Amino acid sequence: MLVTYGQAIGDAMKEEMRRDEAVVLFGEDVAEFGNIFGLTRGMVEEFGKQRVRNTPISETAIVGSAIGAAVTGLRPCAELMYSDFTMVAFSELFHCCGKWRYMHGPEYKLPLVIRSAMGSSFGAGAEHSNCVESLFMHAPGLIIASPSTAYDAKGLLKEAIRSDNPVLFFEHKQLYQVKEEIPDEEYTIPFGVADVKRRGTDVTIIAVGLMVRRALEAAEKLKEEGIDAEVIDPRTLAPFDKDTVFESIRKTHRVLVAEESNKTAGIGAELAALIQEEQYDELDGPVVRVAALDVPIPYNIALERFAIPDAEDIAAAVRAMFA
Amino acid sequence: MAYTKELSRKLYRDLLMLRLFEKRLIDLYAAGKIPGHIHSGIGEEAAFAGTLATKKEGDYFKMSHRDIGASSLLGVSLETMFAEILGKTAGNSGGRGGINHISELSRGMLGFSGTLGCDIAVAAGAGLTIQNRGGDNIVYVYFGDGTTSRGPVHEAINLAAAWKLPVLFVCENNQFAISTPVSEGVPVKNTAADRAPAYGIPGRVADGTDVFAVYEAAEELTREIRQGGGPAILECKAYRWRGHFEGDQARYRDQTEADRWIKKDCVQKMETWLLEKKMITETEIEEMRAEFEAKLDAAVIFAENSPEPAPETIYDYLYA
Repeated sequence: MLVTYGQAIGDAMKEEMRRDEAVVLFGEDVAEFGNIFGLTRGMVEEFGKQRVRNTPISETAIVGSAIGAAVTGLRPCAELMYSDFTMVAFSELFHCCGKWRYMHGPEYKLPLVIRSAMGSSFGAGAEHSNCVESLFMHAPGLIIASPSTAYDAKGLLKEAIRSDNPVLFFEHKQLYQVKEEIPDEEYTIPFGVADVKRRGTDVTIIAVGLMVRRALEAAEKLKEEGIDAEVIDPRTLAPFDKDTVFESIRKTHRVLVAEESNKTAGIGAELAALIQEEQYDELDGPVVRVAALDVPIPYNIALERFAIPDAEDIAAAVRAMFA
Repeated sequence: MAYTKELSRKLYRDLLMLRLFEKRLIDLYAAGKIPGHIHSGIGEEAAFAGTLATKKEGDYFKMSHRDIGASSLLGVSLETMFAEILGKTAGNSGGRGGINHISELSRGMLGFSGTLGCDIAVAAGAGLTIQNRGGDNIVYVYFGDGTTSRGPVHEAINLAAAWKLPVLFVCENNQFAISTPVSEGVPVKNTAADRAPAYGIPGRVADGTDVFAVYEAAEELTREIRQGGGPAILECKAYRWRGHFEGDQARYRDQTEADRWIKKDCVQKMETWLLEKKMITETEIEEMRAEFEAKLDAAVIFAENSPEPAPETIYDYLYA
C-alpha cells in the first residue's frame, strides 16, 4: 500500500494497540487534536480516553510516568512533541530509562517508547530543529531508532512497542509527508540491523534520518561522475550494526558519515573513532564527516539551509575524497 | 482512635526494626564496610511505619534514600538488602545499583532515582496502570522536604491530580535540604501539604514523631484514595537526627533545636505508651530487640559471604 512516513507511524501504533491491550499512548495533544502533525488522528476515537491521553505540558512527568507504567505492566508509547524537548527530561531519559534495570536488577523491564519529531523543518528555529541522537548515544541502556523511510519507520516502531527495553524513536519532520509503497502484511524490523539503501563499490556513506535521502541524491550525481557510492542507513544508532558497515568498508576502503546534528561530538565523531579503532588497516583515507555547522539552527531559511548539509555538500565531500 | 494491642505492637515492632536497621547501617559504615554513602533516617521512622501499616496486597511503592530498612516492611529479605548495601552478588541488582536501589518488583517496589525528584512521576505512572486495570490498589511515594523544590515533583503531582491517579505522596519533612533549613528554601510553612490546594487535592500535616498521628492521617487519606478520590499529600514533620550523610557533622544546625526534637523520639514515645498501657513488657521489648539484632547479624554475615560480582558480568542487566 502507498503510505506516507507519518501514516506508517500512525498505522504502527494503531496495529500494536489493537494487538495488545497493554499498549497505551500519551503525550501533549495526542488525543482529539491527533498530535501536531496529525499522526495520532482517530486513535482516541478508536481506543478511548483511557488508552489515548493528552498530558499537560510536562515532559519530565511524561517520561517519568512512562517508566512507572512500563515497570508495572503497561507498554506506554509516549510522545515528546519535539526532540529538542528531550532535554527537558534529560535526567529521566539518561538516568532513569537507561539505568533503571541495571540499578534495580533483572526483575525490572522497561517496555516503553518515547517518540519525538526531530530535525529542521523550514524556519522552526533553534529550539525546534535539532537532531539529538548523539546526545543519547552516550547513555548506556537505551535503544535509539532514527528511521529514514516509511517502511523502516513502521517496522521499527512495531518492534519498539514490543521491545522490553526503553526506545527513543526519532521521526524526521521533513519525511512525514513522503510517500512510499510498503507491504500490506505485517512485519517488524529488528534493532541493530542496518539497511544498505544503495549498493556501491567506491565509497561507503553512512547516513542517518533525512541525510539518507540526500546521500542517495548525492550518489546519483556521483554516479554520473564515475564514483559508485554505497549508502548505508544504520536505522538504529544503539545498537549499531558494525558488521554491515565494516563489510562495506572492507569493500570500498573509504567512509563518509552524513548527519544533521552539529558536527562536534556528533554521530560522525563517534563512528569515525569506532572505524579507525577497528578498521584502520582497511582505510585509504580519513573518515569524513558531513554534518550541521556548529551553530544553533537559524530561523532565516537561507541561513538554515546553509547550516544543514544538502546533497551537493555530501557529493562535494565525496569528490574531495577522490581528489 | 482506639488502637488494638495487635496494631500497636506491630507499629512499635516496625519502628524498632527501622531504628535498629539504621543503627546497624551506621556501625557498618563506620567500620568501612559500605562502599557508598549512607543517609541516616534515624528520627524519621514513624513516617514509614505509620503509612506502610495501611498498605494492601498489590500496592506499589517508591521508597526513599532514608530509612531504607522500610524495604523489609515490604517483604524484601534482610539478606538481599545487606548484600546490595555491600555491593555483592546476592543483592537485587548484584551490587550494580547499591544501597539506594534496594528494590524488588515482586514486592511492588518501583525503583528509585538517585537524582531526587525524577522518580515521583514514576509513581504516577504506576498509578496509571492501577487506574487502567481497575481495583482499589494505590501507590505510596516517599520524598523529602528538599525534593519538594524540584520541578519534576510539581509535574508529577499535577499530572496525578489531573488524572485522579491513586497515589499517596508522602513527604518526610526532616527540616533540612542537605544543610539548608527548609525555612530558607521554601516560602510556605508546610512545604508539601500547603501546596495541595493548588492541585485541588487533600493535604495533611502529621506529627512525624508520632506513629499514631501518621497512621491516622494515612489511614484516612488512603481510604479516600482507594475509593477513587484521586491523590493526596501527607507531610510528616520530624527531624533528621544526623547529618545529610554519615560523616556530615551537621555543624550548620542549632544543637538546642536538635536536642528538643531528639527528645520527641518516635520509638521511645511508642515504647513508653505500650508499657503504660501494659500492652508490652520490658522483657518482651528486650526479646524483640535481641531477635532483630540476631537477624541483622545473620544478614550481614550472609552479605559478607556473598561473592563480589565478577568483572565479566559488568554488562549484565543493562538490556532486557
